Amino acid sequence: MGRSLTAVVSILGLAAVTACTGGGAAGEKSAGGGAGGGVYTTIDGNKPGLDVNGPFNPWNPKGNSFQGFNAMRIAWSKNHLTDPNQFYPGIAASWDIAPDNSSITLHLHPDNKWSDGQPVTAEDVKFSIALAYTQGSTAFALDPGAAGAASDVEVVDDKTVKITQDMKNPSVTFVRGVMDSFVVPEHAWEGVLPADFWDKLETARGEGAEAEAARGEITALSEKVLAFGPPKDVSAGPFVLERMNPGEALLVKNKNFYNAANVGPDQVKLLNYTGNEQIWNYLTAGKLDNAPFTAVPADVMKRIVATPGNQVVKGYSPVAVGLAFNQSKKPYDDVHVRRGLAHLIDRAEVVKIASPEGGTAAVTTSGIHAKAAREWLGGELDALEPYNVDPAKAEEEFKAAGLTKKDGKWALADGKPWKVTIHIPAPFSDWVSAAKAITSQLTTAGVDAEVVTTADYPLYLSELAEGKYDLGFWLMALGPAPYNIYQRLYGGSNGWNILGGKVEHSAPGKNGNWMGGAETVDVEGVGEVNPGELTAKLNSVSGDEQKAVIGQLAKAANQDLPVIQLWDYVNTQFVNTNRFTGFPADDSDLLRQPSGVWIQLGMLKKKQ
Amino acid sequence: MSVTVVPAAGASATVRRNFWRGVWRVMRRKPSRMVGAAIVAGFALMGIFGPLLYPDPLPRDTQALYAPPSWRHPFGTDFEGTDVLALVVTGARYVLLTAAVTAVITVVLGTAIGLFSGFKRGRWDSVLMRLTDMKLTIPGLPLLLVLSTIWKFTGAIEMGLVLGLLGWGGVARAVRSQTLSLRERGFIEAARGLGLSTGHIVGRELLPSMAPYIAMNTLIAVTGAVYAQVGLFFLGVLPFEANNWGVMLNLAVFGGGALTTTAALPYLLAPLLAILLLTLGIVLVVDAMDEIFNPRLREE
Repeated sequence: MGRSLTAVVSILGLAAVTACTGGGAAGEKSAGGGAGGGVYTTIDGNKPGLDVNGPFNPWNPKGNSFQGFNAMRIAWSKNHLTDPNQFYPGIAASWDIAPDNSSITLHLHPDNKWSDGQPVTAEDVKFSIALAYTQGSTAFALDPGAAGAASDVEVVDDKTVKITQDMKNPSVTFVRGVMDSFVVPEHAWEGVLPADFWDKLETARGEGAEAEAARGEITALSEKVLAFGPPKDVSAGPFVLERMNPGEALLVKNKNFYNAANVGPDQVKLLNYTGNEQIWNYLTAGKLDNAPFTAVPADVMKRIVATPGNQVVKGYSPVAVGLAFNQSKKPYDDVHVRRGLAHLIDRAEVVKIASPEGGTAAVTTSGIHAKAAREWLGGELDALEPYNVDPAKAEEEFKAAGLTKKDGKWALADGKPWKVTIHIPAPFSDWVSAAKAITSQLTTAGVDAEVVTTADYPLYLSELAEGKYDLGFWLMALGPAPYNIYQRLYGGSNGWNILGGKVEHSAPGKNGNWMGGAETVDVEGVGEVNPGELTAKLNSVSGDEQKAVIGQLAKAANQDLPVIQLWDYVNTQFVNTNRFTGFPADDSDLLRQPSGVWIQLGMLKKKQ
Repeated sequence: MSVTVVPAAGASATVRRNFWRGVWRVMRRKPSRMVGAAIVAGFALMGIFGPLLYPDPLPRDTQALYAPPSWRHPFGTDFEGTDVLALVVTGARYVLLTAAVTAVITVVLGTAIGLFSGFKRGRWDSVLMRLTDMKLTIPGLPLLLVLSTIWKFTGAIEMGLVLGLLGWGGVARAVRSQTLSLRERGFIEAARGLGLSTGHIVGRELLPSMAPYIAMNTLIAVTGAVYAQVGLFFLGVLPFEANNWGVMLNLAVFGGGALTTTAALPYLLAPLLAILLLTLGIVLVVDAMDEIFNPRLREE
């Protein structure tokens, strides 16, 4: 894969795992005593292409604030299989979540300081939340009807902040939304926001023309905030940026960091890369102490593993990829056509060709990553139709849809030729290979098929949303929150939006509905359901009720097939144990966070 | 009248015979030129008949992904087990058709504009040459990258059309300067004095003198077009065709890791070799053409 999933994951704001070390071999002086010292070399999976002129700004995609190193979130999500409310400490040392999710109280580390010596305070957190409003965030949203949005931010004392959820439209994702916020020093960011920001925000969260105007004013601040950066890096993370050139960024230990005594490396080098092949070369040379998820061809994998010290660590990654249908296009409006195609795609072969090291073939289409599906659905998962390769069944389904076969080729019901056109973004080479393998399989089975690529991912997404494609690759199962998982199938892109706390369905082609599925689905064993409403319900229910709703949605997705789930990603990372020890083991939840988080938690130690 | 026509026809046949004899002599003088002609002819045949040699779709062997070279697969297999040689052969048609369309458009447009501009001079010359200057200042590749986001170049002819429309500037400039020089020569003056039409002067007097130059430009435009389109496909900005040489290069490097390990190396080398051979063939043929059309070189 070209730019690979790392890019995709970062686009989605999920924790892409990056990290790396390396370089200690270069023989640079180690500073700290004991288990400390050495240079840790890695890449930042979210930032292909270092920009020397980028600002110290965690919101800026080209900025030089690197997550886990010199950019800090309030807390680091564990992306637990079923519980979205588990975190590792970040700026907050601990937190109390109200049982009904109505509020969260953050307790900051009592002795944490910025790299310039100033203390990290509750005011910094509040100020950073104000900045988050200008950038759009799930918990800090301007839209008064948004689900899981905060209604109040209160500084309780110098080290305590309480954030209250707007209970008119609550969501279980509220806490995660709060914790994901970046925190920057107010004293270094002075003047970015107007003095009356919070009054404006109050107005903006109301209704009427005045509120509309206030929202406009706050949104207008977005560009200014995005472009801003203090002249010098001021970090509350374990490192602070010392200097950089187009080839690498050098960060040194922040002695004021609350856990500085346990931070292993003295220095961190983040190497520049623009494509996966550069990462492969760093890895085969043994330069990186860790590389986050990177798609790797089988033969390159062998070379990487053969390098002394290199090890592969695999974990769960709450991401799957599916082949999504635009059901407003014929013949994909007919469920039999979708099922027929599912019976012709050999998912195991597709994964073998496209992503042998980074994915496992989907057991079936449930809408959920197989690992999480087992937790949520238990035995019910085995009861779902597995859509095994079965040309005879496919033929039955196609016939049921009224398609006709002429000279060994399937044609539409009216006799016109049928060509399955699969769209993919060109930079994701695993998707390219997969789409090609699928078209080969379909062509062999008598379904004419072709692959069409789009120059880049943002353009691909916008054309997909405009309904220009019949079929396209689609990231799905983006856990851990069940609502986030199912809104990929039965959310805005399929017509259901939550507006002012109410679920509303838009017709295909309107309000971003490009999937164009039916508003209700007749699910065998359940009856007629509205999958969009069920999905929205996942925001407010919990426990067994939540499991029941997920069970219904899994059945609906399995029978209705808005997408054919192709493979579940495996978070395959590389570590090198020549210079450091203490890396997370297979299946560790820390693999879903950048290696800066491993370091700040005090895990990595210099090899003695 | 018929008396004069018959010897004229006979004379032209003799000229033609002499010409081909000259060609043969030139070709024989350096065997490399024969090789060049054979390569170019080989590619032309490959473009025309290549796809007929293989079944459609090409067979795949998913048990042999990135298989090493063997008798069965001289250049190994690709990511889904398809024979790489088959991909190169069947992919030749698209590449060569695009190149041919590009070359024709480049040369026809370039020559027409150059001739008209140089012959007419004055206001027309100024307007057309400013247009040409403007065209020449626009960098081709970035423009193509931008164009590719709004226009899907689905067919070889479309692709050739775009490359041709972007590539005529250099030819136009060169043809204009040749025309400016030739139009002051005695034989053109004489033709004018005889009251021959502009069409006759341009078509029968000027154009034949520039024919060798134009022919060579056509071949050079072919190589340019091959590089440009393979480059675009390599960068991944163009539609996906598994047997396109540029797509093969892209997938070998970014999907197969051909620059990191050896498994995908044959997959990378096969289309590269094809491009190299085609360029070599064209260079050798151009060398021969140079001598055929240049009287001074020919008489040696």
